[in-house]
Amino acid sequence: MTLMTNVLQVLLLILLAPLVRGVISRIKARIQNRRGASVWRPYTDVLKLFRKQDLVPASASFVFRLAPMVVFTTTLVVAAFVPLLHGSALLGVTGDFVLLVYLLALGRFFLMLGAMDGGSSFGGMGASREALVSTLAEAPFLLALMSVAIAAHTASIAGMVQWTMGQNFFQFSAVHALAFAALVLVAIAETGRIPVDNPTTHLELTMIHEAMVLEYSGPSLALIEWASAIKLTVVMALLIALFVPWGMASSVSALALGVASLVMLLKIAALVLALALVECSVAKLRMYLVPDFLGVASALAILAVVFTALMR
Amino acid sequence: MMLLAFNSFLVAMLSVPVVTVISRRWTKARALPAALLMGSLVIGTAVAAVGFWRGQRFQVDICQVASFSFALSLDRLSAFFLLLICSVSLPVILFSSSYIPRHYSGARRHWLWVLLPLFLTSMVLVVTASTPFAFLFGWELMTLFSAGLIVIDGDSEQRRHNIFIYLVMMHAGAAAVIGAFLLFLPHASNFAQMRASAALMSPLLRTAVFLLAFAGFGTKAGIVPLHLWLPRAHPIAPSPVSALMSGVMLKTAVYGLVRFAFDFLGSGPSWWGYLVLFAGAVSGLLGVLYAIGEHDLKRLLAYHSVENIGIIYLGLGSALMFTANHSSVWAALALTAALLHCLNHAIFKSLLFLGAGAISDAAHTLDLEELGGLQKRMPLTGTVFLIACCSIVGLPLFNGFVSEWLTFRSFLAGSEMTNLSAAIVLPLAAGVLALIGGLAAACFAKVYGVGFLGRPRSGEAGRANEVSLPMQAGMGALATACVVIGIFPGLVLRSLGALTEELLPGAALPPAATSLTVVLPWIALFVLVLVGGFAGFKRAKKLTATWACGLPGLDERMQYTSTAFSKPLRRVFSRAYRAERTLEVVPGDPPYFPVSISYRSVRTTSFEKFLYRPGVDAIVTAALRLRRLQTGNIQIYLLYIFAALIALLMFMRWA
Repeated sequence: MTLMTNVLQVLLLILLAPLVRGVISRIKARIQNRRGASVWRPYTDVLKLFRKQDLVPASASFVFRLAPMVVFTTTLVVAAFVPLLHGSALLGVTGDFVLLVYLLALGRFFLMLGAMDGGSSFGGMGASREALVSTLAEAPFLLALMSVAIAAHTASIAGMVQWTMGQNFFQFSAVHALAFAALVLVAIAETGRIPVDNPTTHLELTMIHEAMVLEYSGPSLALIEWASAIKLTVVMALLIALFVPWGMASSVSALALGVASLVMLLKIAALVLALALVECSVAKLRMYLVPDFLGVASALAILAVVFTALMR
Repeated sequence: MMLLAFNSFLVAMLSVPVVTVISRRWTKARALPAALLMGSLVIGTAVAAVGFWRGQRFQVDICQVASFSFALSLDRLSAFFLLLICSVSLPVILFSSSYIPRHYSGARRHWLWVLLPLFLTSMVLVVTASTPFAFLFGWELMTLFSAGLIVIDGDSEQRRHNIFIYLVMMHAGAAAVIGAFLLFLPHASNFAQMRASAALMSPLLRTAVFLLAFAGFGTKAGIVPLHLWLPRAHPIAPSPVSALMSGVMLKTAVYGLVRFAFDFLGSGPSWWGYLVLFAGAVSGLLGVLYAIGEHDLKRLLAYHSVENIGIIYLGLGSALMFTANHSSVWAALALTAALLHCLNHAIFKSLLFLGAGAISDAAHTLDLEELGGLQKRMPLTGTVFLIACCSIVGLPLFNGFVSEWLTFRSFLAGSEMTNLSAAIVLPLAAGVLALIGGLAAACFAKVYGVGFLGRPRSGEAGRANEVSLPMQAGMGALATACVVIGIFPGLVLRSLGALTEELLPGAALPPAATSLTVVLPWIALFVLVLVGGFAGFKRAKKLTATWACGLPGLDERMQYTSTAFSKPLRRVFSRAYRAERTLEVVPGDPPYFPVSISYRSVRTTSFEKFLYRPGVDAIVTAALRLRRLQTGNIQIYLLYIFAALIALLMFMRWA
């Protein structure tokens, strides 16, 4: 039963991810006084792309087609790390935060290579910018997770979530506010949202992620789009699981899981709304201001680690 | 049995130069030296493997004259490093068996086959020595033979200067190592006695031994700021020799430090740990930052050796801090991480240098700006190079990740220490390691992306062909090792645990270390099935031209270059580079259309300017002053002798 729930969690994350994306763009459209596309649009996009032909530049090697598969697969593995409905996950016990961070890095590394294999200047440009952002995001990402791990005395993601569930919400350590803030900033950089990167732009001066995938089409592009949707949802789920896990099912029964799903939907909806509001009210940063943005994240993460170690 | 095998291994190694010299005129025996060398390395690997996995020990006494006693012995630590040397050199020699005849002829080829086995034997001496004399004998020969191997590739003025710097720094380092050994005298003439006498030493003397060993071995390992020789000496050697120097020779320095710090001295105050940790952090960060700025492949790889030694030192430093705080279980974890990273770095760095050799063999250049598109022209070389890149970056499913993960876990465990400052510093070191990892990822995305992907940037790169079969086999073997250790780290972890238990009594590897061995094979299986599934489910694929915004004439020069790729990072970390830029514009008539513009950006490392230059100047000035003593006048010399005599007599009277 536990195993089934864990598999169910992964499937939910994978299948609901495009919906999360659709809802975000719908809310953004409404805020900007537009009608906006249907919330199911990302699904039809992915399906449409899967039916199309894969256009591959003549000069590209096998890496070009391998990269989307690696990106998608590593994102799936990461999805298996995160508890969604109850305090456990498919790989949550043996899978620790270092592995999580580095699995995401594996996918990103291959995406950068795939971008450079296209042979145009856009791919190299996107890869170069992504290298800057991801390099600077890795340390705060790891340190913020580390501070929670220190407090919970465990490295496994599920262990950390169970520890947080055991804490009283009203006495919850202020240190976690620091770690939470750092992780939110990192999450924005990691998933390529405003103000670090704009997922809707195709202007060469500003694009990062879109420049990397410019050469992709058909099923390869579908895998990349789906993977980035999953990544966004997984990062949201991770934030929820680590910092506000209350409401997750403590026992594996149909009723408890049902309640937990509802609570989880509400939390994700709240995050989605917040993200849409931020994206509509903040402008994208100039690229050389992104290091400052991530510098703030690093400072917060360092403080989180220092205070957690002090208050232990 | 082991003893016999080890002796025959030594004899076989030493016979290679003799055979090379005897058979030099006999053209049919061209492959003989390589075959003989590989055969003896197989014996060496077998001996080392039995010693490492079973923990068998033995001792070979060669000379027992006091103070020149020369003995070799094999314990688990020696066996581990012997295994590293032999098993990594084997594929390198296989690669060389084809690479050397293609690039060197006549006397130079014979010299290579004479010096290579001697160089390897000297490293074997270093890690198996059980007396100071044997150790220092091997240590000095190792430097000289490697310098000899560099000279074979040519001796222009610039190269001589680099070799000179290499030799000077190595001898300064060796002086420190000799000093560390001398402090154990007069009671200790072999390692067992040194171990016993170290326990009786005063804390001050122990600190002196540690600092001398740290400086001496640090020079060989190439920690910042003692790394100056490394990016000069490694790139100018023949590629297989660079592979051995970077991959294998640097590890003998780590062996020396581990032998001194953990075996002889046992434990020390926690500031030793802070020192090593700090040196590791600085070397790691600056090493990778300098590497990002390079576009000559071999110099870039040499800087990455500095970075990886930094990562190894991070593990060693955290192990020292744990022993100082009496938590030997976690010290075992950190030490295991450092030792495993030694092995991993030996494998992937040798592979990268061999890959560089293959590139220069096929495309006749190592400048990344002239490469590109090699993956399509050299499928196997490209694939193994990609595996090596993933390994050095520390991505999961490749071997570099396992040791970095263990280091991260030891940092996390550091937060449990009772010593508050250690409990804060160690977790923060994880941030440094993560930053190093991120920068390495950026750097190798550049190397592989610019070198192997996209379109060829020069005619030479466009005409490159796959290298010969033995070269592919050598690289393939190393790449296989990267993947096998990356997916099944349990194969080496258990024996490494036994090794650390020998060094730190009563410290079995904590169970936390094994969680990775459980989860990695499953992830690998999942990735394999899914990627295989996608690849099997082949959708129609159509080859097209790269999208050029609808305009014609997209050419290979429009691709991002290595310099352009690294520009954002170089700009953010500009403090580390201190580039001196000069821009010369010759104005034309009218001045808005200059006749020529030349731009030069030179990165002199600040260490040369601010640390070494004053030191060198002071030594030269002092030498000039001292020269005034040498007047050439015989009366003056008689006066010196008389004064010396008087001084001696006075010394004897009052001392």
